[in-house]
Amino acid sequence: MATSTQAQPSTAQPSMNMEDMLQKIKDRQWALADIDWDAPGVEKIPEDFKPKLKAFMADLCWIENVGARGFAAMAKKAPNDTIAEIYRYFHAEEQRHANAELALLKRWGMLEDGEIPEPSVNIRMAIEWLDTYADDMPLSVLGTVIPMLEVALDGALLKFLLEEVHDPVCHQVFEKINNDESRHIAVDFAVLDMIGHAKARKLAIDFVSNVASPGLIIGMLMYVPLLNRMRNNLVDMGLQPEKLYRAMERFEKLGRRGEYTHRVPLFQVLRVHSKMVVDPKHPYHLLANSMVTLSEYYPRALFRPIPTWFKELTYEPVTKGVKKGMNAA
Amino acid sequence: MTVTDIAPKKRASRAKKPVTVHTTLVIGAGFTGLGTAIKLREAGIEDLVILERADRVGGTWRDATYPGAACDIPSQLYSFSFAKNPNWSRTYSPSAEICAHIEELAERFDLTKDIRFNTEVTALAFDKREARWEVTAGRTKFYARSVVIASGPLSDASLPKIRGIDDYQGVKVLSARWDHDFDFTGKNVAVIGTGASAIQIIPELVKVAGSVKVFQRTPGWVMPRLDSSTPAAVQRVFEKLPVVQQAARTALFLGHEVAATGLVWNTPITTLIQQAGKLHLRMTVKDKWLRRQLTPDFRAGCKRMLMSSDYYPALQADNCKLITWPIATITPDGIQTSDGLQHELDAIVFATGYDVHLEGPPYPITGIDGQLLSDDWSGHPQAYKSASAHGYPNLFFTCGPNSGPGHNSLLVYAQGQIEYAVSGIRALVEQDLRWLDVRKDVQDDYNVTMQKRLQSTTWMTGCSSWYLTADGFNASMYPGFATQYLRQMQDFRIDDYDVASNAAKRLWNIPADDTRTVAG
Ligand SMILES: Cc1cc2nc3c(=O)[nH]c(=O)nc-3n(C[C@H](O)[C@H](O)[C@H](O)COP(=O)(O)OP(=O)(O)OC[C@H]3O[C@@H](n4cnc5c(N)ncnc54)[C@H](O)[C@@H]3O)c2cc1C
Ligand SMILES: [Fe+2]
Ligand SMILES: [Fe+2]
Repeated sequence: MATSTQAQPSTAQPSMNMEDMLQKIKDRQWALADIDWDAPGVEKIPEDFKPKLKAFMADLCWIENVGARGFAAMAKKAPNDTIAEIYRYFHAEEQRHANAELALLKRWGMLEDGEIPEPSVNIRMAIEWLDTYADDMPLSVLGTVIPMLEVALDGALLKFLLEEVHDPVCHQVFEKINNDESRHIAVDFAVLDMIGHAKARKLAIDFVSNVASPGLIIGMLMYVPLLNRMRNNLVDMGLQPEKLYRAMERFEKLGRRGEYTHRVPLFQVLRVHSKMVVDPKHPYHLLANSMVTLSEYYPRALFRPIPTWFKELTYEPVTKGVKKGMNAA
Repeated sequence: MTVTDIAPKKRASRAKKPVTVHTTLVIGAGFTGLGTAIKLREAGIEDLVILERADRVGGTWRDATYPGAACDIPSQLYSFSFAKNPNWSRTYSPSAEICAHIEELAERFDLTKDIRFNTEVTALAFDKREARWEVTAGRTKFYARSVVIASGPLSDASLPKIRGIDDYQGVKVLSARWDHDFDFTGKNVAVIGTGASAIQIIPELVKVAGSVKVFQRTPGWVMPRLDSSTPAAVQRVFEKLPVVQQAARTALFLGHEVAATGLVWNTPITTLIQQAGKLHLRMTVKDKWLRRQLTPDFRAGCKRMLMSSDYYPALQADNCKLITWPIATITPDGIQTSDGLQHELDAIVFATGYDVHLEGPPYPITGIDGQLLSDDWSGHPQAYKSASAHGYPNLFFTCGPNSGPGHNSLLVYAQGQIEYAVSGIRALVEQDLRWLDVRKDVQDDYNVTMQKRLQSTTWMTGCSSWYLTADGFNASMYPGFATQYLRQMQDFRIDDYDVASNAAKRLWNIPADDTRTVAG
């Protein structure tokens, strides 16, 4: 008797065994409670460094949260059940990173009781964009943008941070986060390659119909200043922007390893874009930086209320009972 | 084998003690088992025995005692047409009332005398020589010419295998076997699962518990359930004028049949039903993100539809929270989710459903040639009209392969299965047959058609559900209207069976274990 087949879009077989990956992810879960947040080491952070560190960490933690929301959108587009489940975990893991980073801020005395840092304008724009458009974006768009975010803003930034901050607890936390990130990036690029394997016609349609869509245009308008803002934050902290650039080059390098990745049109766009970002003398920065400045003038009143998923972050490792509304599980 | 060979053995076993061979043995004293007994009696078959592992009748409705337990098919449809209940108090009756109705049936039809309680069937084997089933229940053996399996589609449940579950120090409650000794008042509790049982339990827990955290994996389609009490006057009319009740029942039946065009088959109606589900969400859930968390990813009907009007409001109560992060592990104190948080809990309710036996009953069934049903059904269970399986003569399944309704009362289907089994058993008795064994070719043809028809149903639209085996084979649902199913079940054809007759055996003096069959 013929076995019934489930109706699933048949992209290429992933070059990675996704079942094994999912099992590995399930086996490597960790919790905030695994870390001793009161261990010594806070004194290793110079006082004058703290305000900048706070601004940077706040943005970083919100970027994790933005990445989390991206994975939530990806889970709905995944080419099969296993990858959907992996994205469900990644969604949660980005949230875990954000929670852990908040707990670090708390440990360093940068947060009052119950305080959650204010998201910057650029973050709020990103949030609005995600909340409005992400669920409607096809896999070929999300699957290209997310790896870029992961490589440039997430995975790599953490490494830079470790060079500047000598708190052992911070190192312990980021070791865990980095381990998670290495799995994220591996899956990101495997899926990007699967996307590239799709019919050229489908790729072109996805691209053309979205490149002109308000969703993608606004997305770019939001992404450009967000990236430059992080770059400026880094420079403020005394880090060399080259490190960010090197991270962005990784996007191209990892993408080139895939057999089919180069066929994804948006990958090519982002690749060219990252080249411009990497070149400090490129006139692109004039534009990008004025966008950062401009965005500062964006009237706050125009923002819609912050979506509730954004209010789920917390630095408390253990929760008991239900506290509705703000920052409680 | 020659006659002399077997003679001594035969004498030896005879010498031990003569056994009682019942005409029919029924396994289970739930709705279906009792309904079978009623119909057999009506057909003049009085020599029957019912084995029930519990100490009372009621089946599902004796066991499902969790707060809020009720049927989600209108009560008027949730009874047998030959044994109606004019006194349902509500549109959707609570569990205790259904159980009381089943107890009343046992009394009304004087069935209790034939039930052996506290008797759990552990094995079934067909004895070809004697042309009878040997039914083992622990140390006791029963014999019968025919057997009806009515041990229930959802009668077994166990704790799920979640990482760390054995380490948990708090109270574990299984929804299917509710712990009435634990007082939830003021406690911090979790409910794992958001299926049919969970959505009935959660609104009740929210009323008493200190906090309720609901852990969801996949949201289902939830339709409003407009429950109301049935006025006493209406109950009296139903009692005095059964015709009126039958009319109400027919109307409901047809209403559900119409729903099949969207719930069974994947059609534009399915989309319409989804829109109704989304409208229900939009009207009752304020927060956009919560709505997104509650919006299903699969076609309506692909998994069991959920019916509730108080589930969504309960989730938004001040002491309730929906958590969609994956569970990383259960810890001694509670649950750890993948967002890195620990949830401290006094009790965890596992509303994780039932152990569905897609590959046949959980006790071994040995067929005519010593083969095991669990082997035959491994991966791809197949039966004829959901009721007979080739190689297992005189055995009738209820809730068998491809018998599940996606849109209608299970009892409507069970009634068809009962009718079919009674026809078969009557043929056995009235034509003095040794056995009836469904023909392999007939069974195969039937299943080819089933699988073909299943392809266009909602169940095959790509969701993973307990309707499907590991490799996505659908051996549980019937692809069609209840009307179609009932028509096929009312049509028992002896030509579909290989028949061994006692008369032939006597006439030709065929040795008792010869497999010679005579076409009927
Ligand atoms: C919570 C819940 C809600 C439901 N709601 C609906 C609904 O709204 N509409 C609907 O159509 N269906 C519903 N169902 C499905 C329900 O199972 C059937 O409608 C119906 O009750 C099945 O009756 P049954 O007699 O076939 O099986 P059961 O009621 O399960 O009875 C089987 C009996 O067999 C006994 N038994 C099992 N194994 C053995 C053994 N080895 N030896 C001896 N005895 C044994 C059991 O103890 C039990 O008494 C619901 C099920 C559950 C669990
Ligand atoms: Fe991260
Ligand atoms: Fe990541």
